[in-house]
Amino acid sequence: MIEKIIFYFLTVMVLVPAVMAVTLKNIFHCALFLVLSLTGVAGLFAMLGADFIFVAQILVYAGGITVLLLFVVLLSGNPKDWIIKQVNVQWFGALAVSAVFVAALSVLFRFLPLSSGLAQAQPTTGLLGLLLIRDMVLPFEAVSLALLSAMVGAIHFSKKE
Amino acid sequence: MPKGPWEVMGPAVPSQTDENIRGRYVNSFKVLAALVIPLLLLTVLVGEDPYQIFLTVFSFCLGVFVWVIDLGVKIANAGVGLLGWRFPAWLSGAHIGGLVHHVVLFLLPFVLILMVVQLLPAVIVWMELKAAAHMQVRLGPMRVGRWHGWAQPFADGIKLFLKEDLVPAKANKWTHFLAPVIVLAPAYICYAPIPFGKTAVVDLDIGLLFVLAVSGLAVVGMLMAGWGSNNKYTVLGGLRAAAQVVSYEIPRVISVLPIVMWAGTMSLSGIMTAQEGLYAGFLPKWFIFYPVVGQISFVIYLITTVAETNRTPFDLAEAEAELVSGFHTEYAGIKFSIFFIAEYAYVFLGCALGALLFLGGGAPLPFMGWIPSYVWFFGKTFFLVFLFIWFRWTFPRIRVDRLMEFCWKFLLPWSLVNIAIAGLLML
Repeated sequence: MIEKIIFYFLTVMVLVPAVMAVTLKNIFHCALFLVLSLTGVAGLFAMLGADFIFVAQILVYAGGITVLLLFVVLLSGNPKDWIIKQVNVQWFGALAVSAVFVAALSVLFRFLPLSSGLAQAQPTTGLLGLLLIRDMVLPFEAVSLALLSAMVGAIHFSKKE
Repeated sequence: MPKGPWEVMGPAVPSQTDENIRGRYVNSFKVLAALVIPLLLLTVLVGEDPYQIFLTVFSFCLGVFVWVIDLGVKIANAGVGLLGWRFPAWLSGAHIGGLVHHVVLFLLPFVLILMVVQLLPAVIVWMELKAAAHMQVRLGPMRVGRWHGWAQPFADGIKLFLKEDLVPAKANKWTHFLAPVIVLAPAYICYAPIPFGKTAVVDLDIGLLFVLAVSGLAVVGMLMAGWGSNNKYTVLGGLRAAAQVVSYEIPRVISVLPIVMWAGTMSLSGIMTAQEGLYAGFLPKWFIFYPVVGQISFVIYLITTVAETNRTPFDLAEAEAELVSGFHTEYAGIKFSIFFIAEYAYVFLGCALGALLFLGGGAPLPFMGWIPSYVWFFGKTFFLVFLFIWFRWTFPRIRVDRLMEFCWKFLLPWSLVNIAIAGLLML
C-alpha cells in the first residue's frame, strides 16, 4: 500500500516536472524542473533497491550536470533572453522520433519480465564494482575512452585561437 | 634572547600580577572540573547506550499513561453506564498505549536529527562568536544568559524571527521562497547515515557517497537564491558559490577514496569499525595515522570541506567588499537565518564526516575506552569545528582566479597521486 503511494508520488514527481521542463517559457524554471524530475528518477531507483545507482543519479545528474546547466543558463545572455518564445518548428521530426521510441520500448517490455521490482535495499556496490572492473572491464574502458575523446573534442572546438 | 611582544610593549599589564595568575589557575581548574565532572556523570549514569535509558523511562511513562487512560475509561463507563451506554472496546489503555509506542519509536530518529540540525548551529555560532572575540582580544557576548553570553544565538534567532520578511518587488517569488528550503533540506537528510557514537539512524551501505551526493544538492538552492532575487550581485554570488562547490566537490570525493579502499566499504559504521584497535599497541588505528596517505587525505579533505561550506579563506561567494553579501543579499529575517543555519549544519556535517573518516568517529584513544563513544564522536567533531573557526579568523580571503587554480591544478592532481600511493601501500 505505502509502496504504491510512494511509487505514484514519484511517478508524478518525474513526469509533471519533465513536461514542465519542456513547456515552460522561462529557461531557468525549465532547468529547475529538470532537477526535480531527475531527483524523482533517483527516488525510483531507490524504490527498486538499486542503492548505488540512486546515489550516482543524485551525485551526477541532480547535483552535477543540472548545476552546470543552471550555470550555463545564468551565464548566457541578458535576463530578457531567459523568457523565450516556444518554437516547435521541428515538431514532425520530434513526433516521429517519439513514435519510434515508444514502439521500441513496447517491444522491449514484451521481452523483459514485468516484476513488481520492489526490493529491500541490498548492498549492490560491491557486485557492481566487480562487474565493472573484472567481468566487463573492456566495455567499461572503451566507454571511458569514448568520453575522454569527447572531452578532448569539446575542448578543441571551444578553444579560441 | 628574543623579546616577546609583552616585553617590547612595556611593563606587565595588571592581569599578569601574582593574584591574577593564581585566579587564572583557579579558573582553569574550574573549567577542567566543568569538563570532567559531566563526563564522569555521563559515563557512570548513562553509559554506552542512552537509547536503553530512554526506553526504560519511556516504557515507565507509557505504563502510567495506559493506567490513567484505563482509569479514565472505567470512570467514564461508570458514568455513562447509568444511561445504559458503554464506550467501544478499542478505547482501552493497551490499545492506545501500543499506538503511542509505535508512533514515538517511529518518530524518535527524525525528531533527534531535527533537534541536532536545529540546535547545533546555535552551539557553533556561540563557539564562533567567543573564539573570534578571543582571537581579536575582545570578550564577545558576555551578558545574554548570564554565563559568557551562552544565550546569544537564541536571542539572535528570536530577533531574526521577529524581523520583517522582505521580498524584492521584482524577485521571482517562488524561486526566492524555495531557495532557503532547498539549501537546508539536504542538510537534514545527510545526517541520517551518520553514526553519532556507535549507531546511525539508518546504516546505509553507501553512506559515505550518500552524504557527499545529497549535500551537493544545496548548490541548486544557492543558484536559485542568486537568480530569484533579481539582483546582479546575488547572481554573481550564486555563480561563484556554485562554481566553487562543484569544483571542490571533486578533490573532496577523491580524497576520501583511499579510506574506502582501506576499509573496503562505503558504509560509515563499517569505516568506523575498521578504525577501532591499535597499531603497535599504542597508536590508534585511525586513518589519519595511516602512513603518508592518511595525512595527505586529511589535509585535502579539510581544505575542500572549508571551501565546500563557503567559509573564510574561500568565502568568495559572499565577499563583502565585492558582492555585498553574495547570494543571500536580498534575504531578510528568518529566511536569512535559514541560510545561516544551513551553513553551520553543513559545517557540522563536514566535521562529523571528517571525524568519522579520519579520526575514528567513536573509537577511543588507548586506555580511555571507558568514555562512551558518543562523547568521543562529539569531541572529535567539535575539535574539527574549532579548526574551521580558527581558519576563518586567521586566514585572509584568497583571490577568485587563484581559488580555481588551487583546486584544479593543485588539489585534484595531488588527490589522484594520493590514490596511487594508497594503492601501492595496500598491495
